[in-house]
This record gives sequence, structure tokens and C-alpha cells, in this order.
Amino acid sequence: MAEMVRKSSVDEVVNHWILAGSCILLGITGFAFLFHLEWVSSLFGGVNTMKEVHNWGGVVFCLSLLYSMRHYLKDAFEYDADDWQWFKVAGGYLSHKVKVPPMGKYNPGQKLYYLAIVVAGIAIALSGFGMWFLKEDASMLLLSHIVHNVAFIIFVIAVPVHIYLGTLANPGTLQIMLTGMMPLNEAKKKHPKWIKAVGKM
Amino acid sequence: MTNHWIDLKNADVILAMGGNPASNHPISMKWIMRAQEKGAKLICVDPRFSQTAAKADLYAPLRSGTDIAFLGGMIRYILENNLYFKEYIVNYTNASFLVNPDFKGPADLDGLYSGYNEEKRKYDKSSWSFQKDEEGIVLKDPSLEDPNCVFQLLRKQYDRYLPEKVSNITGTPLDKLLEVYKVYGSTGTPDRVGTECYAMGWTQHTVGTQNIRAMAIIQLLLGNVGMPGGGVNALRGESNVQGSTDYGILFHILPGYLPTPNASLVDLATYIDKTTPKTKEKGSLNWWSNRGKYITSYLKAVYGEAATKENDFGYPWLPKLDVGVNASWLMIFDKMLKGDFDGFFAWGQNPACSGANSNKTRVAMTKLKWLVNVNLFDNETASFWRGPGMNPKDIQTEVFMLPCCSFLEKEGSITNSGRMGQWRYKAVDPIGQSMPDGEIINDLYFKVRELYRQEGGANPDPIVNLSWEYGDKDAAGKVKHIDIHAVAKEINGYYLEDVYDNKATPPKLVGKKGDLVGSFALLRDDGSTSSGNWLYCNSYVTKEGKPVNMMARRGKDDPTGLGLFSGWAWTWPVNRRIIYNRASVDLQGQPWDPKRPLLKWDAESKKWLGDVPDGGAPPMGISGGLPFIMKPDGIASIFGPGLAEGPFPEHYEALECPLEVNSMSKQRINPTILIFGDEMDAFFSCDLRYPFVCTTYRVSEHWQTGCMTRHCSWLLEMQPQNFVELSFELAKELGLNNGDTVVVSSGRGEVKAVAMVSERFKPFRIENSTVHQVGLPWHFGWQFPEDGSGYDSANLLTPNVGDANTMIPESKAFMVNVRKA
Amino acid sequence: MANDTSKNRKAILVTPEACIGCRACQVACKSWNQLPAIKTTNNGTYQNPPDLASAAYNIIQYSEVPFKENLVRWLFLSRRCMHCEDAGCVTICPSGALYKTAEGAVAFDRDKCIGCKLCVTACPFDVPRYDGEGKVTKCHLCFDRIANGMDPACVKTCPTGALKYGDRAELIDTAKKEGYTTLYGENDLHGLGSVYAFKEEPKLYGMKENPAIPSSVVFWHNYLKPLSLIGLGGVVAAAAVHYLAIGPHKEKEEEV
Repeated sequence: MAEMVRKSSVDEVVNHWILAGSCILLGITGFAFLFHLEWVSSLFGGVNTMKEVHNWGGVVFCLSLLYSMRHYLKDAFEYDADDWQWFKVAGGYLSHKVKVPPMGKYNPGQKLYYLAIVVAGIAIALSGFGMWFLKEDASMLLLSHIVHNVAFIIFVIAVPVHIYLGTLANPGTLQIMLTGMMPLNEAKKKHPKWIKAVGKM
Repeated sequence: MTNHWIDLKNADVILAMGGNPASNHPISMKWIMRAQEKGAKLICVDPRFSQTAAKADLYAPLRSGTDIAFLGGMIRYILENNLYFKEYIVNYTNASFLVNPDFKGPADLDGLYSGYNEEKRKYDKSSWSFQKDEEGIVLKDPSLEDPNCVFQLLRKQYDRYLPEKVSNITGTPLDKLLEVYKVYGSTGTPDRVGTECYAMGWTQHTVGTQNIRAMAIIQLLLGNVGMPGGGVNALRGESNVQGSTDYGILFHILPGYLPTPNASLVDLATYIDKTTPKTKEKGSLNWWSNRGKYITSYLKAVYGEAATKENDFGYPWLPKLDVGVNASWLMIFDKMLKGDFDGFFAWGQNPACSGANSNKTRVAMTKLKWLVNVNLFDNETASFWRGPGMNPKDIQTEVFMLPCCSFLEKEGSITNSGRMGQWRYKAVDPIGQSMPDGEIINDLYFKVRELYRQEGGANPDPIVNLSWEYGDKDAAGKVKHIDIHAVAKEINGYYLEDVYDNKATPPKLVGKKGDLVGSFALLRDDGSTSSGNWLYCNSYVTKEGKPVNMMARRGKDDPTGLGLFSGWAWTWPVNRRIIYNRASVDLQGQPWDPKRPLLKWDAESKKWLGDVPDGGAPPMGISGGLPFIMKPDGIASIFGPGLAEGPFPEHYEALECPLEVNSMSKQRINPTILIFGDEMDAFFSCDLRYPFVCTTYRVSEHWQTGCMTRHCSWLLEMQPQNFVELSFELAKELGLNNGDTVVVSSGRGEVKAVAMVSERFKPFRIENSTVHQVGLPWHFGWQFPEDGSGYDSANLLTPNVGDANTMIPESKAFMVNVRKA
Repeated sequence: MANDTSKNRKAILVTPEACIGCRACQVACKSWNQLPAIKTTNNGTYQNPPDLASAAYNIIQYSEVPFKENLVRWLFLSRRCMHCEDAGCVTICPSGALYKTAEGAVAFDRDKCIGCKLCVTACPFDVPRYDGEGKVTKCHLCFDRIANGMDPACVKTCPTGALKYGDRAELIDTAKKEGYTTLYGENDLHGLGSVYAFKEEPKLYGMKENPAIPSSVVFWHNYLKPLSLIGLGGVVAAAAVHYLAIGPHKEKEEEV
């Protein structure tokens, strides 16, 4: 058995899946509201229960997002020259032939993705609470409605990309997010700066 | 109504005065608007800018209680400008009749007519008569020029009603006044017809009857009576008040407007002789000459087999009034207050809120030993002993509540303002222990009869001899349940034996014993027919051996296009839709207006086509038959000596008014009214404590005292509280804001209300001073809503003074004050 | 959004000129819909309840307007849902509780309402109300009656013809022939289902001028809503293309 290294703590793994699960649930129910997808609402036993699921799912998402900040927020704000280079080669996604610069624990795409999720997440959460609790105020309600929908668009674009890159586009990645462990060899290749920083190189 | 609801669509001008049809008779507006669509003009004359005013082409305000001044001015305008329909008034009215030269009118006697006795407040009417020839036929001047003819006397009296003077009295701006006169006066041509719609705004005055007389005169002058789209139309204040009047609810009439006998009419022959009008006029049918047939048939209906020729058909058993006794509402409560009554059945009414000077009514009830309230709900009357200002400990009246059921819970007929008897069916069963009124009466009757039979009592005959064949009987002989059809049939009347026409040879069978009588023309005075109400004879007939309820008919044909719908239900008399309709045709029987062919004489078939004619005689020009068959002289009365105050209406101020003098004459108030003078009968004219003219009215959302409607929360939602409407000018004077709670007070009481400050009220300019008018509805009462939030009845304010003829209280013009609560 | 092309579209024609303010319509509505009574007070006007409410689908609005000819004008206006063809409430409703019937009525399914109140913000006429249980209520043109060939309750009871129900195009035609010059709602919001016939300026009666759905609702409906689908579809498509054209990272490469 190859030597493994822990990339994500247990709580991080658990929280990620809470975040992911609630996000997907919210996305599906969100679409169901937007386009009156009765087959979806009927899965929840009606649109009213679906609303409850959406609202409380939002609370879960919100808490989970806040919790996730202890795992990712610091990293998400730190960039170096390699990150610039990474952008120049588009992370190597457009060609397998380019040289991708050495990365730390997260590449800048991941970091920016996280920031986008945080920003959009805060927006969608606040506007969600706005619609939930400030509906007597018509202008607040309308503003919340617009913000919620704009943020939603960010989610529906960003999240599928994340899922694709975390699964099909990068075989084996899913495994890490399920166990929190990745093979040390692979980590050395993909995250040399991180491995170096944790003193395993 | 002389005409009927749908007929309003046939008018060219509709005058809504003395009523607010848009609010209180919404369905009337359907037909008024149909007329307007065809170019008709709606005129509204009202102290306030009402819902009707909002829909009117012309609105003219007038101060409450000045209608006769307004209408008198119109009579003058019509005469001055030759707008009257001469052929009509010469032939169909008494305009040409010559009056006794001793007759003097207000123009001669400063507001009075000849024969006034100040002490008795009564007229000796002997001079109010016509000149007659040796045969007893009235002398006439068809040229209308004789100074003693009715037409000239009319002119003389109303010459004084100059527009400026009228405007000064009524407060109506002169231009509006003249515009109303002009528009309404335009209906004096044969091809134009005007109609009038009134309600309690005209009747509830000390000059109520004369208000309507004034309009009747105008309608006759313009040839509008008998015409489709014409007439004088009382919009009755209740769905079945026409029916209740037809059936003798008033003290002075029996069913079918037969006079209540008084003690001087000692037997049936005397009654018939004294109460039957007589005439020598040729061509007059004088329909009331049938009195004997109607009273006899009535007695047969009431006492059945007990009524025999030998016992005067039970006439002695009929209750009699003492001579000269007036037993009207105000008198009853006056007597009650004086302790003259032990008990009182308040049946389907709420006197504690509906009676003028309700405080007097409420106190009067404390003098009773017992009170039975028959109603849908407990109300201010049944609960008077725990009402405002009452100490239950001091009140000994025992109150019984008999819950009756609503119209939806029983079957029967109602008669609408257009005299149409319509059959209604039961929709749901009565709630709880409530019963139809008929069942309550049934139980009561058999109990009372039993007591009379057992104990004898003072005068058992009228009760024990009543015929009561209204359904199956139990072993004890009591009718188990009232069969309402049996009642309806008895009202129509039966042949009590085989009746033959003995003039025919051999005598021809007219009616078989047990059959329903087909028409009042077939009623007899020999006891061979019965009819509970001759006017309704023909409402339930025998056709091909089977009883047919004419009131249940639902035919929808309208061949004339005038909206007669003669196959729909049934209208008295004999399904005539417009009464006096013989006046709608010329002397040859052709319609005055070919576009309004209500009636038409067909020379070939020698028959009238169209509506059921007022008497079947051929046209006046052919037969000499006069058109107004109910009038003794066969023609309509412009000169009407029957009323207490005079043969023509004269303007008098309301008992409570803002003016020291009546600018029309020295006589300020109606000289013939009865004025109560006890402690509780307080009246204040020109008193600074009560400076504002007040009137009362109704709203769409409530009905009568609100007893039914205040219990309907949907209606209460729309009109939750008593309110008083007043002008911005008055509000400013009093420092009131819209929506403030105020107290409205009169000499008799006070009531809280919400101030409704509105542009729809404007101060009047009367005799160079400003007179403010306010008004409030009378639908509220302390007892419900239970929290008292609706406030109390406006009738706490109204004066208990009545019209000189009818004793209807003057609820529509009195004086009040308004202050912030 | 649907255009007023439906041949079968029904409507209520309100003719305030023919309204006498008897308010039978208010009661008939309550009766048919079994709405509870509202505890009101008199506020110095006949108008009561003062505004539309969860238990008042229609009200008569009373206004007094100065008028030199006849002292004053007293105007009666039946207020109710306008049943817009382009109905902001239906557009924004996230649950499908508000919907349009075959006759063009904007009806609601109480069970579906999630109480979000978005319809309130989207209505140009301030019509939707919420009941005590947080469910939307408003005039639904008696969709249950009209679907069975009956007139709406208010129309059925109106004594003067101030309220008429029928084929929308015919009602408008007839009103024009009868001389009504302004048909409020003929074209507004692609045509209202409550059309008002006037011979004068509708604003005299307090009718809203140029009614429109809030621009944010229009923006949301026209752009954001499709964008969310396009965004999702685009991303999924792009991923598929990427997977096929370029393919996943091999061992040597890294994840995102």
C-alpha cells in the first residue's frame, strides 16, 4: 500500500459533503421554484414542504459555509507568482502538453472558486433570509429576490464546473474528498509546495 | 306604485324626490338607467347629494320639509307656461268642475281654507264641494275659464308660489329650481311622459299626504297618470309592505281597503250605505259601489258558515272603532305610556328603534304587564328593560320571545311595490324552535279559542266563530299545520253555492260550489261567495276544475315591449299592470303616444288590446265610460276635498323648523295636525339649542331598524356604525373632523354617531340666512352589536308628531344639535 | 409572455358610470366565497372595508370630486383583481399557486401557496392579500363558477349592469359602441381581464396611470430566469465538450 498523506481533516470532509449536499438540494429545489417543476415538488410531498426543505436547507448550507471558512478562507486569499503562471496555462486544462507550475495545497482556480462561493453564498443566504423574514417590506423583498437570483446564477455556473473538475476531469479526486487522504507520491507531484511546507518532501 | 318597477324604463323624465332609489331600491335603477340610455333625464331633488343624485342628470337640493313649496312652484310653472295637457285634464280630471263659490283658499285666507275651526284644529269641509244641477250632476266648464272652476282655483292658489319665493323657502338655487321645472314640465305633451319615485322622504312629514297630492296634481296636469312611464310611484320600504297594506295592517282599513267600521255603523246595511261613495255622474263606474259585495264576501271568508244573512253575516262581531278614535302608532304608544294597555304583541317589528321619539316608546313599554316579541332575533324591544337608562328592578313587564322564521324558511306570497303578488318557496327548514308566523298564529288561535270556550269571557263570539279551515285537524279539532295554499285560496274566495246568472234564460251557471271565484266582478252580496280580500280575487283561480295559483306563474312574454310581462306572477287588480290605464288613451281609445301602446281599442273586435283595462267599457268617446273607475266621479281629482288640510296642498313648515315665519302665509305649520303635549312630547322650533335641520334615511346595507341586517356580519362590515352626514362648512363651525365621534341631540333625546363630513351636504340660503342640514340613518340600536359600537337609533331624535291624515310621524324634518362627543 | 390572442378570453367589464354603490357585489362575493366578516369601524366614509383585504376580494371605492354643474360628483368604483394577461403575480409566483385559467382568470391554488408574498410586490394594482394562515387570497373571477358556465357572483348580483361578464372582445366592442371612449385595460399589460369603461379620464376615478409590473420583476423574468438555465446548460455542455475534446487529466496532472 502506497504511503498516504492527509489532505483534508475528517471534519473538513464531513462539512464539504454537508455543503455540497445542501447546495445541490437547494439548487434542485431552486430550479423547481423557478420553473414550477411539479415532478420535483411532488418528490417532497408538495411545494410547501419543498419550501421548508429549501429554507432549512439554506440554514444548513449557511452554517456549513461559515464552518468551511476555517478550512479554506486563509488559503483563498494567498497568491504567488506560480499562481499567475497557473492562470497563463489555464491550469493545463486546455492542453495536456503545457507545463503547469508547482502548486500549494490549492491551485488559484480552487481558491477563486471558493471565494466566489463565499461571496455568492453570503449573498444568496442573506437574500434568502431577506425573502424569508422581510417579506412585509416590498422593496426589501424585491431586492432580495433579485440578489438571490443573481447569486443563484453564479452557483449554477460554478458548482457544475467544480463537480466536473472534481470528478470526471480529474480521476481519483473524488476519492480524496471521500476519505481526506491522498497518496503521498501523487501529492508530491501535484502539491509540491504544500508537501514541502508540511515537511514531507 | 300606480305603475311598476319595469315600467320606469318607459319614462322620458324620472323625478326622484322623497326617496333615494339608487340606495334603497337598487333594482329600480336598472330600469331608470334603461330609460336614461334611451335619452331620459333623471332628476334628483333631495336635501343631500345621494347615490341617486350621483347618477342624476340634474340635481337640486332642497331643505327637508319644503317639498310642497317646491312642487307648488312647479304647478305654477306648468300653468304659467301652458305646459299642461289640456285634452287630458278637461276630460279625465275634475279641472273643469265648478266649486262652491263659498270655498276660499290660502290665497284668500292667508294660508287657510274656508271652514277652519281653530279650537278643534279641524275644517268644516262643507264649502269644499262642487256646484251641482237639479239632478245632482256637477256643473263643469270645459273651457276652464270660470273663476270657480278647479283649474282657476288651482291657478289662484299657486300663483303665489313664485320661483324666487320658493327658492327662498326651499334653499334650492333659483337656476336649479327652474331647470327642474323646465325638464319635468316638458312631459306635458302626449309623446312625453314623466314619472315620480318617492318613498318615506315624502310620507314622513306632517304634510306627507299632501306632498304626494301635490305630485299627483302635477302628474294629472301633465297627463302622466295611467301612462306607461308615468304615474306616482311609491317605492315601498319593505319587500312586502304593499302586501301588508293590502291586507289591512293599518287600523283604519280592513283587507282590500274597506274602511274599518266604527261604532256608529251599527249594522251591515248602515256600514254599506255610509261607506259607499255615491255619484250622479253619467259614465262613472264608481267601482266602490260594490262595497256591499266585498264586505259581505269578506265576512263570509272570516266567519264562514257562522256568517248568515240572519246575523248580518257576522258584521256585529267585527271589531269597531269608537267614533273619532285614531288608533295609529303614535296614539298607541301615547296610550301605552298612560298605562292604558296591559299587553303588547310586537310582531315582526322593533318599536324601540323604529318609532319616532323612541325614548317615549321605550318608556311606554315599561307600563306594560306583558310583552310578546315575535321576531327572528332578540332586539331592542324585547330587551327594552335592560336598555340605556332603564333599571330592570323597576320594570315589571314580563317579556316573552317567540322565535319566528325568516322568509327563506317558509312558503307564501309577497306583494311588491308594483302590486305584484309573487309566490315564493321554502328554501330551508326553520332553525331550532322557530316557526312560520302562520303556525304561531295557529297555535295562539286555538289556545285563545279554547280559553274563550271554557271561560266565556267578555266577547267570545268574534273568536269562537272564526272560520279556520287551513289544514288537517287533530282529534281535538286543532289545525295541525297551516296549509298556506288554503289561506291563499280563502283570500281569493270561493263560490259557497252554485251561483247562476238569473238574467239569462235559462239561468246560466256562473260558478260551481267549491270553485274559486275568477274575478271580484263576480263577487256577491248575498253570502254565496267569499273573498278574504277582494283585490286579490283572481289570484288563485279554478281552471278546468283545478286550482291554479296565478301568483306562481312564470311567463316571460312581453308582446307590447313595454315590460308588462303579464304572464309573470299576478298583479292586483285582476292582473292589471298599470292602474288608471284607461287614461293612457284618447277619447277614441287610441294611445296618446303610439310608441307607448299600453292599451288600444280595437274597433273591429270591440275589444281592448294590451294591458287589462281599467274597466272594460268601450272608449269614453264611444260609450261615455269614464276612465278613473275607482273615483266616485269617474275622473281624477285635482281638487281633492278628502284630506284634512285642504283640497289642494299648501306649504306649511315642519313642526320643528328653523323659521319663525312661513313666508308663504301666516300659517306656519299644518293647521290640522295633532300635537301631543305631555312631558315626553318635546318640540323645539327656532330654538338656538337645536339649530340644524335634520333628516333620517336608510342605507343599502341595512334594513329597517337593522334587526335582521345588524346580525349579518357581512353587512355590518360595510356599515358598522351610526353616522351623521354634514357639510364641511358646518364641520368647520363646530370644529369637527371627518370621522370624529359626535353626539346628535334633539329635544327628545340624543344619539352618538360618527361624523361624515362631505361635499355632498351644503348649507342652504334661506331667507337671507344660512341654514345647515344634517342627516343620519336610523338602522342602529344599542342591543346589537353587543359591544354597543353601532350606537343607538336615530329615532331617539325624531318627533312624535304625525301627518294630519295618516299620523305617519315626521321623521324626515326636525331640528337637532351636533357636538363633539 | 402570452399575448392577448386568445379568442376565448373572458373578462369583467366594469362601468363605473352605471354603478350606484349599492355594494351587492361585495356581499355576493363574500357569500359565494364564504369569506369571514371583517370587524370595521366607520371612518367618515361609506367605503368599508377601507381597502381590499384577505376577506374582501372586491370593494367599492367612493370618492367625492368637485364639480361645478351639480355641486359635487360622487364616484363609485369597483376595485378588484385586474386579471392581467401579463400578470406579474403569476410571473413571479415561485410555487405555481397563482395561475391563469382557460378563461383568462388569474386564479390561485391555496394549497400551493408558500406564503412568499412575491406576488404582492409584482402586482401593479396592489391586489393580492394574505389571510391569517399566510396564504394568498384575491378575486379569482369566480373561476369555479365561470368554468361551469355561470357568471361571477358579483356580476350575477349587480342590479344595474355596472358589472358585466362575457367574451372580452365582445364586451369591449359593445362598450365602444355605447360611447365609452376610454377602455381602461384594453391594452395595458397585454390586456386586462377587468376592463373599465369610461367616458372620461380614468384617473378621475383614481385609476392608476400606465400600470406596469416592477422593472426588477421584468428583468428577472426576461433575463435572470433564462440565464440560470442557459448558465447551467452551458456549463454542462462545456464540460462535456472538454471531456471529449481534451479529456481528463492523467496521473501527471492535477485537480481543481
